[in-house]
Amino acid sequence: MTLAPSNPPQPLAQLPLGDIIDRLLRGEALLLDGPQAVVEVVGVLHSYGIVLDAYSRNLIYIADNTFLQLFPFFKYFNGQISLGKWLKHLWHDRINYEYAEYCMKSMFWHGGGALDHFVDSPEFRRLARTAIAAKIKSNPLIQGIDRAFPEFLLEQVRQLAYYSALGQFWRIMSDIFMDLSAAYDHGQITQIPDVVTLIQDGLVAAAATPVTYGVEIGGQRYDILPASANLTFLMDTAVPYVEAVFFRGTPFPGTISYNAQAGQVPVAQERFSYGALYADPLPIGGAGIPPTLLMQDMRHFIPPYLHEIYEAGLRHEDDLLVKICVSFQKSMFCVTTAAISGLAPHPLTSTVPEERSANVAYLTGWMERLSHSQIRAANGQQP
Amino acid sequence: MLLSCLIGVPLVGAIALGLLPLPEQEAKPARLGALAVWLVTVGLTVAAIAQFNPADSQMQLLETVPWIDRLGLGYRLGIDGLSLPLLALNVLLTGIAIFATGDKIRRPRFYYALLLLLSASVNGAFAARDLLLFFLFYELELIPLYLLIGIWGGDRRGYAATKFLIYTALSGIIILAAFLALAGLAGFQTFEYGPLLAFVTGMDSPLGGAGLPLGTQVLLLLPILIGFGIKIPLVPFHTWLPDAHVEASTPISVLLAGVLLKLGTYGLLRFGLGLLPGAWHAAAPYLAIWATVSVLYGAFAAIAQGITNGDMKKMVAYSSVGHMGFILLAAAAATPVSLMGAEFQMIAHGLISALLFLLVGIVYKKAGTRKLDALSGLFNPERGLPLVGALMVLGVMASGGIPGMAGFISEFLIFSGSFKDFPVHTLMSMVGTGLTAVYFLILLNRAFFGRLSDRAVNLPSVSWWDRAPAIALAVPIAVLGLLPSLLSVWSEAATNSLAAIARLGIAG
Repeated sequence: MTLAPSNPPQPLAQLPLGDIIDRLLRGEALLLDGPQAVVEVVGVLHSYGIVLDAYSRNLIYIADNTFLQLFPFFKYFNGQISLGKWLKHLWHDRINYEYAEYCMKSMFWHGGGALDHFVDSPEFRRLARTAIAAKIKSNPLIQGIDRAFPEFLLEQVRQLAYYSALGQFWRIMSDIFMDLSAAYDHGQITQIPDVVTLIQDGLVAAAATPVTYGVEIGGQRYDILPASANLTFLMDTAVPYVEAVFFRGTPFPGTISYNAQAGQVPVAQERFSYGALYADPLPIGGAGIPPTLLMQDMRHFIPPYLHEIYEAGLRHEDDLLVKICVSFQKSMFCVTTAAISGLAPHPLTSTVPEERSANVAYLTGWMERLSHSQIRAANGQQP
Repeated sequence: MLLSCLIGVPLVGAIALGLLPLPEQEAKPARLGALAVWLVTVGLTVAAIAQFNPADSQMQLLETVPWIDRLGLGYRLGIDGLSLPLLALNVLLTGIAIFATGDKIRRPRFYYALLLLLSASVNGAFAARDLLLFFLFYELELIPLYLLIGIWGGDRRGYAATKFLIYTALSGIIILAAFLALAGLAGFQTFEYGPLLAFVTGMDSPLGGAGLPLGTQVLLLLPILIGFGIKIPLVPFHTWLPDAHVEASTPISVLLAGVLLKLGTYGLLRFGLGLLPGAWHAAAPYLAIWATVSVLYGAFAAIAQGITNGDMKKMVAYSSVGHMGFILLAAAAATPVSLMGAEFQMIAHGLISALLFLLVGIVYKKAGTRKLDALSGLFNPERGLPLVGALMVLGVMASGGIPGMAGFISEFLIFSGSFKDFPVHTLMSMVGTGLTAVYFLILLNRAFFGRLSDRAVNLPSVSWWDRAPAIALAVPIAVLGLLPSLLSVWSEAATNSLAAIARLGIAG
């Protein structure tokens, strides 16, 4: 995984997005500060926090309760199956948990961090095999499948480990975003750097939170990601998540399509840049696909102060999903700022020449990756 | 009195709107007044349809008021299956134009008064069964249309309105010369259509004579062809049309393409084929060539607009030039089927072109441009104009003659009715239909598909008030495509009668 390739320091003006590097070194954020930006970012993160809470609960439910169920038909019901809920599900009056799975699969695919290494380790294989054996001991059909395709169930367990890991990551992120919303409501957040600081503090505070996973089969607990693996929130879930979802993969469904045959998809995985920070908020095509399932979910929880801004737009509620997507992208630049700042070799505002030079080199790597992102558009600037 | 009321009510409404002390700057009272007058004309049209006998090919609902008997002048009205659908189309499109006019129109009283005057004069032209009365209404219609383009048009409205006036006034003078010459040859005893036809053919003529020689008929037909050829317009008399359309506001373009061009094709059928069948038969092969040239020229001009990223409105205008050529081809063949196709095409094109101009108007109103190089992605479901795009696809399909749409019925009838007499011309005109799909797909592809252009990234909402007139046009386009008998039943007797007159020319 390459989060920030290092480059020799050069004059800021000659660097890609040098003005943004300059801003970051002054303690500001990727996103330009402004009263509307604050409202947009806090408002959309409020709704995102609520949605993440639901996603996180469901991911953890799936990991814990549908272990090696090959056809988990009711996995989005969180164990509360009723006719009314089923009808609502069919009517699509529900949270789009598919988006959470989509992000999980993106993380699983792109990998990164110690979690990625661990699920390929002999230790994981041993733990998973034990759990698999316990689960299928009275199921000859699955035993046959397991013998014929020994990697199949193992891969399912790896995926379930990612379900759980992303669920745990979003559990913490949801709380951070709800804290941010509460702080804004109490007047403690007035500018974009305040947002970044709160998120960064939250990330740092939770950095060492262990990420573990185990399932209960026949009344006995089987560890899959044991505490002894030393997997932690920040480096093993947050950073891979940012890499996979913000940078590399997970283009919002419906925003743009890529043609692999036309060479629009790079062969090298690390050159993918289809993440949330790069997505075009405008949907393409005539099929009526909204920007993403996520925006559909967030629209139900937009706070009144943000809804007022959206309502004042030219299209009022007609393009609500696009407006949410634009605001969400702005908020993700704030989260990215927090991540960049948190992972920096030295405090970004340091004036010590050596430290500043190291920071510039570090930021240059980031800016090269962000140079064709939507950062200019998010700041209302020409690309 | 019904036909007189169809002329008189909008005329009185126009005068009343002009004279009543309504607020000068507020559009709503004038609009409501115009709508009230329009509703009355709708009621009158329904009454006319109810009293009309579709099985009778002759003029019906006759009204006659003698004027100057010595010169054969009189106020003579009547409608047949040829004119009734056009009259109804005029009433429908007048309503669409009133609905499609924005609230912020300048000088609303004058505007709506002119709109009603235009409607009255077109009703009069379709209801006239007297050549001079037709001419008077034909000329009267120019005045409001000139002012509607000249006052409420685009940046080059003065140029476009003057060009329109010069061309169409010239068209009127040429037609008047032909009418006077024909009446003169008949001894200025009458300008009434029926007796003059009998005089020309020499069959049971109350005016005496054994019929006009072919050479004289041809000399009379030429100015009629040129006069109405300008109005339709046919190549090479078409140059006023794209300018007029581009500069006219959307409601005026709707009326111009939807119904005013039909005065030209109606005139050709009524006073060219219907009055001079011998000369028409002699000229038919050349008319078929002329029709084919118009069809292909209109199509290629529209394609040129498309590939040079030109004006959407100009594309639709050139499309009209091409599609009017189909009517001339059908009239040249003059078979019962082709003439039914011609009548169907007049109505279908009236609805389809009105729809297309309305939709282009909405695009212009919202995006501020009609240039294809400045537009893309208007289908965008969130920020584009998806319903407008869907209706545009419907309009394009209808214009391109896709089965299930009104345009298919008319083109199928025209081609099947004309093929026997003019197989090569018909086949080339069918290529023109194929080219319709080409240029309209260029339009759709560039303006509606892809990513929303930066210029159009923040379009204002389209209200149902904007969409309603377009939907009101889309419905009959689809319905007539599926149930063509709803229209053909009214016209069949009249077009058969016209075909019988054409056979007189062949026999003569």
